[in-house]
Amino acid sequence: MSDANMEEKVEQATSSKTISLPISRVRLIMKSSPDVSCINQDALFLTTKATELFVQHLALSSFKNGSGKETNTLSYSDLANVAEETETFQFLTDILPKKILAREYLKSLEEMKKEDGNL
Amino acid sequence: NLTILKLMDGDGSTTDASQLGITGEYMTGGHFVLQAQDDEGEEGLNDHDDGNGSKDNFREQDIFLPIAKVARIMKNAVPQTGKIAKDAKECVQECVSEFISFITSEARERCHQEKRKTINGEDILFAMSTLGFDMYVEPLKHYLQKFREAMKGEKGISAVTVSEGMGEELADDTFTNQLPAGIITADGQQQNVMVYTTSYQQIPGVQQLQFS
Repeated sequence: MSDANMEEKVEQATSSKTISLPISRVRLIMKSSPDVSCINQDALFLTTKATELFVQHLALSSFKNGSGKETNTLSYSDLANVAEETETFQFLTDILPKKILAREYLKSLEEMKKEDGNL
Repeated sequence: NLTILKLMDGDGSTTDASQLGITGEYMTGGHFVLQAQDDEGEEGLNDHDDGNGSKDNFREQDIFLPIAKVARIMKNAVPQTGKIAKDAKECVQECVSEFISFITSEARERCHQEKRKTINGEDILFAMSTLGFDMYVEPLKHYLQKFREAMKGEKGISAVTVSEGMGEELADDTFTNQLPAGIITADGQQQNVMVYTTSYQQIPGVQQLQFS
């Protein structure tokens, strides 16, 4: 059964308005893990579906957790914060480093240099 | 205390901190990514290449799901009036690949421990549970059932149940009813072999196969 065929079946089965993610790409990502050779159809389907749930889960948690200001926008830092604060999402902390503006960093760099100079 | 500093330039490329002459002793603790400018999310960051086709150096960790689809799922998940910054979409794109790899390696572990070569549905569900995503398991089982029902209708083929522990390769003429669903093998070719499952259902009239 081709991927396209399978994706069609997935849409039929779930009959949901959610977007069906490309199975072939999911498989590609799975196979980039070391020592993975064979993946059966169920596993592929479950992973694809789980990924969808994951996106929803991550987006909603971050949005709710976020700023609380009236920006109503999900930002990168909302995601970084939720990764740090929620146990389930802690595996993401390495790829979600917190950002600071370059000028702020360079400023603190200057300050550190000054401190060193005073020693 | 390892610190990773990535400088993000206006065009989305990154520069090594070392190129700015920043040495180790000036690095602050913790992880930081520097932004060259105020990032409102609309400018400065390249969209990840959906097709991965135009990247010259194709790294495994650069494989992502299409950003438009990811973004759509996010949009549907948050309240209707909510907006999503562009860098948040790209970030979730990366998180998704990380998630898939995370689940896969755990599933593969279990598979390996049980001396099997093919990752099956149970391995995935088990991995979810182990890694803190057990809230997904019940909904996933539900979807899986629907999926299998949809698959069953394919050319009137019935599912055959087998118990665990069987060898991976089976001769084509071993069974009278064959599920043409393919197993994805390492060389990317699909082969018409049996789909291995733990017993979800029994089909009357089809011979139960037992492997010790």
